[in-house]
Amino acid sequence: MTAKIILPILQILVIVGFSPLVKGFINKIEARLQCRRGASIFQPYYNLVKLLRKDAVVSETSSWIFRATPYVTFISILIISLLVPVLSSQVPLNFTGDIILIIYLFALARFFLVLTSLDTGSAFGGMGGSREMMVSSMAEPAMILSIFTVALTVNSTNLSNITNLLLNNSVLLLNPSLFLAFLAFAIVLIAEAGRIPVDNPFTHLELTMIHEGMMLEFSGRYLALVEWASSMKLLLLLTILVNIFFPWGIAGGLTFSGLIIAFALYVVKIGFFAFLIVIVEMSFAKLRLFRIPNLLGTAFILSVLAIISLYVVR
Amino acid sequence: MSINRQPYLDNIMNRFKANVTVAKGSLENEIYISTNTDNLEDICTYIHKTFQAPLSSIVCNDERSLNKNFTIYYVFSLPDKDLFFIVYVPISEQSPNFPSITPYIPAAHWYEREIKDMFGLEPVGHPDPYTLVLHGNMPENTYPLRKDFDTNTRLPHLESKLPFARVNGEGVFEIPVGPIHAGIIEPGHFRFSAVGDTILYLDAKLFFTHKGTEKLFEAMPYTKALFLAERICGVCAASHATGYCQAIEKVAGIEIPPRAKFIRTIILELERLYNHIGDVGNVCVGASFLMCGSHGFRIREYIQQLNETICGNRYLRGMITIGGVRFDINNDLKKHILGLLNRVKTDFKELIEIMSKSSSFLDRVETTGRLSLEHARGLGVVGVPARASGICRDTRINHPYAAYGEVDFDIPVYYDEGDVWARIKIRIDEVYQSISIIEQCFDKMPEGSLKTSMKELPPYKQALSYVESPRGEDIYWIMTAPNNMLYRYKVRSPSFCNWPSIPYTIPGNIVPDFPLINKSFELCYSCTDL
Repeated sequence: MTAKIILPILQILVIVGFSPLVKGFINKIEARLQCRRGASIFQPYYNLVKLLRKDAVVSETSSWIFRATPYVTFISILIISLLVPVLSSQVPLNFTGDIILIIYLFALARFFLVLTSLDTGSAFGGMGGSREMMVSSMAEPAMILSIFTVALTVNSTNLSNITNLLLNNSVLLLNPSLFLAFLAFAIVLIAEAGRIPVDNPFTHLELTMIHEGMMLEFSGRYLALVEWASSMKLLLLLTILVNIFFPWGIAGGLTFSGLIIAFALYVVKIGFFAFLIVIVEMSFAKLRLFRIPNLLGTAFILSVLAIISLYVVR
Repeated sequence: MSINRQPYLDNIMNRFKANVTVAKGSLENEIYISTNTDNLEDICTYIHKTFQAPLSSIVCNDERSLNKNFTIYYVFSLPDKDLFFIVYVPISEQSPNFPSITPYIPAAHWYEREIKDMFGLEPVGHPDPYTLVLHGNMPENTYPLRKDFDTNTRLPHLESKLPFARVNGEGVFEIPVGPIHAGIIEPGHFRFSAVGDTILYLDAKLFFTHKGTEKLFEAMPYTKALFLAERICGVCAASHATGYCQAIEKVAGIEIPPRAKFIRTIILELERLYNHIGDVGNVCVGASFLMCGSHGFRIREYIQQLNETICGNRYLRGMITIGGVRFDINNDLKKHILGLLNRVKTDFKELIEIMSKSSSFLDRVETTGRLSLEHARGLGVVGVPARASGICRDTRINHPYAAYGEVDFDIPVYYDEGDVWARIKIRIDEVYQSISIIEQCFDKMPEGSLKTSMKELPPYKQALSYVESPRGEDIYWIMTAPNNMLYRYKVRSPSFCNWPSIPYTIPGNIVPDFPLINKSFELCYSCTDL
């Protein structure tokens, strides 16, 4: 019974509570690599607090969708954070859904954001929305296929089962098709999280924006919610990546010591992959918009190869 | 090094006989040609075609108090010799129109529209005679640069009427951008007609912050006007100050001491250095290549801090003064400057190495925003974009001023390219060249005084002054008034020439590449919205 209460609280604490920190960490390291001092790693928290205290300005021409979107986005991401194994391979909402639900919840959040971007009638919003749809139409299949590769390896689409099985049969992780799937997922992660070379989260140039373009019209608490949701999305994608492909250290049960070790390893793993994102962002210029399909096409092909090789190797 | 003007005088006299009066100007590199409106097109096109002389500026001047006429001066500069042709034509107040030369010399199109807005003279035959500066929100018959318009006039605020050209068709939509932008830049309104992300057409409207700078000059004693000239633009302060000082010195007929000439050259090259290095960084930021961007800014910061040690201002304000320079560069400072420039050179080289090896960056900048030689020539593009498109022109070499005649350097030109990368390459080459010019200046700099004292300013004298600022050729035209005042000071900045070329580089590119293309031109709003 206690597990049923503690686990959801713990998961939400980690994902909701630490996601701004991941962003702050990435920003800090990037600043250091650019010879800048950079803002404190807690800056995203200060921003959220500031935004939550501010009034939201809503365009007169917008409909209820504009006001609903921040909540829909935030809540769908929140539900995902209860479907993904974070510290323990047990998942609070285990019985309700598997990875297919997760992908659809990501899609739901995005769908509402895109609707909102069209809702206010701003030119930049529509542009950002259409580009986001272009990117996601290519990122989603690659993501689905790469996760399916893992699902086929262990014959389950339930993330909790996947993690458990991979943890107990680490040999399976040596399967080359999982390596291909991992590469595909890593590329998709960059595209989905809107990082360089696909999208530049730091830019002020409206004409180049993808994800930020859709959020231009939000302000105050609405902006806080979508910003928070987007940093949670980044952390969730990283969590899925590390816990599927590198499940070692994750607690099998719910013992106190197990969770402490799991947490420590989780921090190390997330920190490592966040650092890899930084390296990628610093070594590349943003791609020309019409080159993004090439990059995501690579991810898609990798994931197709992963699935095919799964049968070949078997 | 004066050139023989007689053959040119004879050439024009023989061709136009009694229709023109040709005179050597009081300055040794100017030829004044007086004509009437009937022969204007002929003579302008003749000079433009025969001597291959590009149009450098068109200046309108309200001389009704002197000779009851407006006068329009057309300035052409020879491409290979240090010589200017100034064709001038009187326009009477009773028939306030003049033949447009735009159909023959497209580079004239903005000047003529500007004259229409500011002086109320109609360019007859102009293909696109819409308002340029005033946006149609001024009361009828308000012409700010006429002498009878008081500087302190408060005008009612009217709705602006801006006609935008648009593309119609299935799937074509319009993206309005600005005039307020998210970054810290000045206002400009861009309207894209695009299909998906591919741009078909761009219409740009500028001049949102018309400050009446040229009008302000007319109410100022020449000593005070220096400070206004220096503040026309933030990042070309030294160029604008030099241009103004040279104009005054030419009118007054004074020569500045040789040491001051060299110090001016050093200061102008430092200005070019911090601008070009910053611009290289800026283009990287435009392509979201953040690491190289911040290193560009870091290196620029070295030079700006150096600027502060030299003259107490990061933007080199207050260094150049009428008759010379204000501060000396002593031996300690010289060592400091040369040491720092060495460091800048090594760091910059490292940065360029990273940039030119990054395939993702090159993919963004190569073939993006091509400006063809034909467009560049036709529109009279100057400076970095002109040289990137294959026009070999640099005022420092074509019309040497300060100590540029005494140092050795050449003009980097890239033929058949004209893309964003070519414009970056020009800047990179010029950075190394500027460092070498500064080093040469220190070698050749003589001892001596820093400043010649000024005499009285003779009234109603004209002079042309020119400076190659980091953005391109600045042309200044001055006419003095009695009591040490200015009658007219016309500033023709490189941005004024280069802005109209942007819409020609855009079609076929994609919307997210526009900021990158725009940054590669590095155009100044403040120099344009005078």
